[in-house]
Amino acid sequence: MDTELIDGRELSKVYATATGPLIALDDVSFTIEEGQFISLVGPSGCGKSTLLSILGGLEDRSEGDLVIAGKRLEAPRADIGMMFQTSVLFPWRTVRENVLLPGVVLKLDRKAQSERCDELLDMVGLNGFGDRYPKELSGGMRQRVALARLLAHDPRVLLMDEPFGALDEFTRETMNLELLSIWEKTGKTVIFVTHNIGEAVFLSDRIFVMTPRPGRLEGIVEVDIPRPRKADVMRTPRYSELVFDIRGMLGVDH
Amino acid sequence: MTMAHQTAEMAANQTQKASAIDSFIARERARERRTHINNRLLATGFGLFVLAVWHISTETGLVHALIIPSPIDTLMATGRVMSASYFWPNVFVTLSEIMWGFAFGLSSGVLLGVSVAMFAVVRATIYPYLVALQAPPKIVLAPIFITWFGFDQPSKIAISAVMSFFPMFLNTLTGLASVDPNAVKLMRSLTAGRWQTFRYLLLPNALPIMMAGVKLCWTLAVLGVIVGEFVGASAGIGYLIYAMNFQLDIAGVFSLIILLSLFTVVVYQLIEWLESRIVFWQQL
Repeated sequence: MDTELIDGRELSKVYATATGPLIALDDVSFTIEEGQFISLVGPSGCGKSTLLSILGGLEDRSEGDLVIAGKRLEAPRADIGMMFQTSVLFPWRTVRENVLLPGVVLKLDRKAQSERCDELLDMVGLNGFGDRYPKELSGGMRQRVALARLLAHDPRVLLMDEPFGALDEFTRETMNLELLSIWEKTGKTVIFVTHNIGEAVFLSDRIFVMTPRPGRLEGIVEVDIPRPRKADVMRTPRYSELVFDIRGMLGVDH
Repeated sequence: MTMAHQTAEMAANQTQKASAIDSFIARERARERRTHINNRLLATGFGLFVLAVWHISTETGLVHALIIPSPIDTLMATGRVMSASYFWPNVFVTLSEIMWGFAFGLSSGVLLGVSVAMFAVVRATIYPYLVALQAPPKIVLAPIFITWFGFDQPSKIAISAVMSFFPMFLNTLTGLASVDPNAVKLMRSLTAGRWQTFRYLLLPNALPIMMAGVKLCWTLAVLGVIVGEFVGASAGIGYLIYAMNFQLDIAGVFSLIILLSLFTVVVYQLIEWLESRIVFWQQL
């Protein structure tokens, strides 16, 4: 495969702080092919969220070059979508209106968006919840709405910042399974930030292992577990092996 | 035991369980109702008690009628004042002053709050002065405003507007600033412009805090007008109160205070009702 979608070269980010410059991201280079599921894994302060913000065009890079879909990234773009740890639903908008928000902001065709909204709510299992308000939903359901909103304007790249990190373990696993099936259906390129190594192995094609102070890309792990993956993947020796490899890279087992 | 027998027993068990839950819920509901009624009784009882103490202490001469008129005198005075020819013209003077003061205070507070929040230049230029001006009691301006704008309505409207401006301004500013940073990131990632972010995120997000500001703004608008009328006026409720007090018609003063309070509370309730409509999602 050489359908390269994202090309990051020597990306660095330095913050000026009261105690001097702080290197959040140090000379990170990588390429990502279209349709891949990538996880960024590492402890707090390893620069994974900074890298995600840079990929979303929300933060400037101090150095380096970043090309997404053939164009240098200079500002946020509609073909790159973001999802956060909290659902960030607007409480004054119904579930439906929340999913329609990207279309409204981007001035997309209303009718087409409305139909797409129905499909997406169906896809995330929230058929019939369109007229509810976010406050009436559980945490897991809200993240489902956020997932539908993420897909509403059909971005090519999905940047997900610990999207299920605030959910309980059971809900998180269900959401991971559903995310996988949605990803398989849509063929999006996903960059998924997590500090849960098992989650990263279960979901990803490749895992970017990052270490802190300064934020560096320690290595890239190819996950060769065949797809489609079901929950029983987590019982295979290959799964455990990869998890322990990554733990080793992060120095968790010393 | 036969199968049918077992099933029947299970069904019976289930009905028993269901009825136990029903009666539990019924008991809880009844307890809530009792608590509610008790609270109402306590509040009403306390009100009646105060009224009784007021009545007895004035009727027995414990407190002189010139200091505190009895409840009955106050009621009679209310009738007398409301049927007097001077009453309604003065009411209209004060009402229009309050409405104009409220309107000016509210709109200028919202406009300046939005400008300061949305434009860095405006913020840098005037925000320090607005914060400094907020500190001293605005009542000190009343005599100056009377000198500037005269004895008639404009001076009262000005005082009222200045007093009611600040809570509206500060609450608008606070409301627009207290936004989830991730929500702002979301809007940016959708390539939303400044005014799209304002319209779809910042403004609705600010409404709950702004509505709290509207309520403060209202009470201060009334206060501003009455203060202005105390300091210098030839008409209005504040002027009437001042004049009656001077003539030792304390029952009349009491009746006016009660009428003014009633009016303020009714409008306050109206604003609260509007609030529940506008920021409906807070109550979900």
